[in-house]
Amino acid sequence: MRRLAVALAAILCAVLVANAALAQDAPKGSAERGKKLFVDLNCYSCHGTHAQGGGRNSEPPIPLGYPFAGFLNQMRKPRLDMPAYEEKLVSAQEAADLFAYFSSIKAAPAAKDIPQLRN
Amino acid sequence: MTQARKKTTQPPQTPEDESGLDRRSFLKGAAAAGAATAAAMAAATKVARGAEARAPKAEGEANARGDSFIARPGSDFMLDVIRTLNIDYFASNPASSFRSLHESIVNYGGNKKPEFLTCMHEESSVAIAHGYAKAAGKPMGVLCHGSVGLQHAAMAVYNAWADRVPVMMFAGNGMDANKRRPGVEWTHCVQDPAGLVRDFIKWDDQPASLQHFAESTVRAYKMAMSPPQEPVLITLDIDLQEEAIEGKVSIPKFSLAAPPQADERALRDAAKMLVAAQNPVIVADRCARSQEGVEALVKLAESLQAPVICTGNRMNMPSAHYLNQSENRPGLIRNADVILMLEVQDPWGTLHGMGDPWKDVRRAAKPDVKVIQISLADFMMKSNYQDFQRFCPADLAVSGDAQTSLAPLTAAVKREMSSTRAAELAGKADGLKKRHQDMQERMKTAAALGWDASPVSTARLSVELWNAVKNENYCLAVSDRIAWPKRLWRTTQFTNMMGGSGAAGVGYSSPGAVGVALANRDKGILTVTLQPDGDMCYAPGVLWTAAHHKIPLLWVMYNNRGYVQEVMHLQRMAGLHRRDPKTAKVGTMIYDPEVDFAKLAQSFGVWGEGPISDPSKVGPALERALKVVKGGSPALVDVVCQLR
Repeated sequence: MRRLAVALAAILCAVLVANAALAQDAPKGSAERGKKLFVDLNCYSCHGTHAQGGGRNSEPPIPLGYPFAGFLNQMRKPRLDMPAYEEKLVSAQEAADLFAYFSSIKAAPAAKDIPQLRN
Repeated sequence: MTQARKKTTQPPQTPEDESGLDRRSFLKGAAAAGAATAAAMAAATKVARGAEARAPKAEGEANARGDSFIARPGSDFMLDVIRTLNIDYFASNPASSFRSLHESIVNYGGNKKPEFLTCMHEESSVAIAHGYAKAAGKPMGVLCHGSVGLQHAAMAVYNAWADRVPVMMFAGNGMDANKRRPGVEWTHCVQDPAGLVRDFIKWDDQPASLQHFAESTVRAYKMAMSPPQEPVLITLDIDLQEEAIEGKVSIPKFSLAAPPQADERALRDAAKMLVAAQNPVIVADRCARSQEGVEALVKLAESLQAPVICTGNRMNMPSAHYLNQSENRPGLIRNADVILMLEVQDPWGTLHGMGDPWKDVRRAAKPDVKVIQISLADFMMKSNYQDFQRFCPADLAVSGDAQTSLAPLTAAVKREMSSTRAAELAGKADGLKKRHQDMQERMKTAAALGWDASPVSTARLSVELWNAVKNENYCLAVSDRIAWPKRLWRTTQFTNMMGGSGAAGVGYSSPGAVGVALANRDKGILTVTLQPDGDMCYAPGVLWTAAHHKIPLLWVMYNNRGYVQEVMHLQRMAGLHRRDPKTAKVGTMIYDPEVDFAKLAQSFGVWGEGPISDPSKVGPALERALKVVKGGSPALVDVVCQLR
């Protein structure tokens, strides 16, 4: 969990320090294309198809609802162990598609509302 | 090497006829160690005809001896020795270099205690013995060729050694070159069989006589069981097995050594440091070997109000106990002023992290944290394999078996504890209980993410399985492949979770779980396991072994269709090299075609269902499978999962 906490902190930090150019609103993207890209680029191997993260400490969830600027900054100049995805590998439009996919993911049910997790 | 050697041309006579000793009476006597010694001695004094059956013939000499029987082969005596050690099973892929002992097991011994378990790979044999020993608390025997069999077995032996688990290995070999048949028998013989595995076993010997065998086998068992527990290897000479018992032989009296307790003065010093600490933390790795160890750790932790971090290699501390704070590890290590490490394999890694790929060291603990280590690591350390990890200085290093040392350490803590200090520590309990509760809620919140995802999330899979077994006396046979059970399941018994492979050698999980399930079958414990698909593909023949021997085990496939850790490594390398990360699937993923594990199971005679990708269908499938397992047979449910 330490890595997870550090990773989340790093993402939040990235959001705060993102430069003005990255602080723009998210460009229009396709959630459908983004979903496919998420698999093709193997993002899902660590983060899961629903951005839920993995079962180990080195696979953080992607917090839903945070700004595009922070998302893009982490992808281009990642903190910690995540590989970098430069523009030649993931174009600005593809980044927007990925972000559109994240934005389309519904929040998970609360643990208290899941019967199997009540005991 | 399965071709038979003809030694008889006449119908065989019964051993009773040959030796004059009633076989039933002999077996009855062999059940008790002392009686076995007497019986074996009596039998051994009978000089049998055919004693020179394997003696080489001069060229042209007739080799047919019509009356050539071996009334009391040496392998019968070997079995008598083995029986005094209370070994219940021998796991083995059959091979000619131990054919005589094999025959003695199934005929002379009636295939009971020990029973021969038919395995399809020597790696499976050893991994079965590895899992069995952890659950049963005693070793199983393994038989293999001294050459090709031991080569197959080697990685599994390394796993068992790294996991500090006893295994009684026996390797067939022909020592006398003058008696080896030409061809394959030469190829399968080796001058020093144990050389292949000597770096990761405790002891070995190549007995040259039956008396030598008896003494070395009893010694080997005693050494394997003395902490630190490790595999041992006895080489079985072919001729020693096959030639008749000659002269007087006896079986040494067997007794286990008391485990080494840490020095009382050192424990007193440790107690002083712990009692004085403001934020003591206990890290327990391969500490407990039994429920006694679990209960002793609870008492120590309670006496100090010290949170415990379990690494997961053993079930050391009940999960529902408020002092089990394993998932609060980063904060606990960061704030600790004294850390007590109990059989911790990697003390340096407990205090540090290292970034990948830049190898930047990240200190996880205070620079002035005091470290107490209680461990037997120095007693099993060898030079070649680097399992011993990076050197970590300790403020107080104590050599001793952790489980055995817990009770005297707790007593020392109580002696050092003033009533004032005891009252101060008692005041910490409410805060620790709140942190434990918060930790559990945090884990549940994390498990809810991706709850309805398809493929099934590993958290959902773990929770569905927990709901299926929570009212049973259960065991999760391999508990380190998915982290969620350790976070979410309620553990109270040492046998609830059996840890992992030891050396992360892939291929342990499936046969290891079979071994655990075999031990649990005899205790009435329901055994399940979360089975990675890549691991299952190493040696799936173990499915047949479970079906054939009616070993009740539920495999729940954690089928992510790949070696996903390697996917992540390739992604990282591609990112570093500024190249395409999409190719990370090449050489790492297991699809096109996808393996149908339910059909694989069925083909080996195991009940199978799947593949299941819909999370809502997992629970009902597990219920169906558990009915089969409770009926005494193995079953497999294939669940297609998220990658991690």
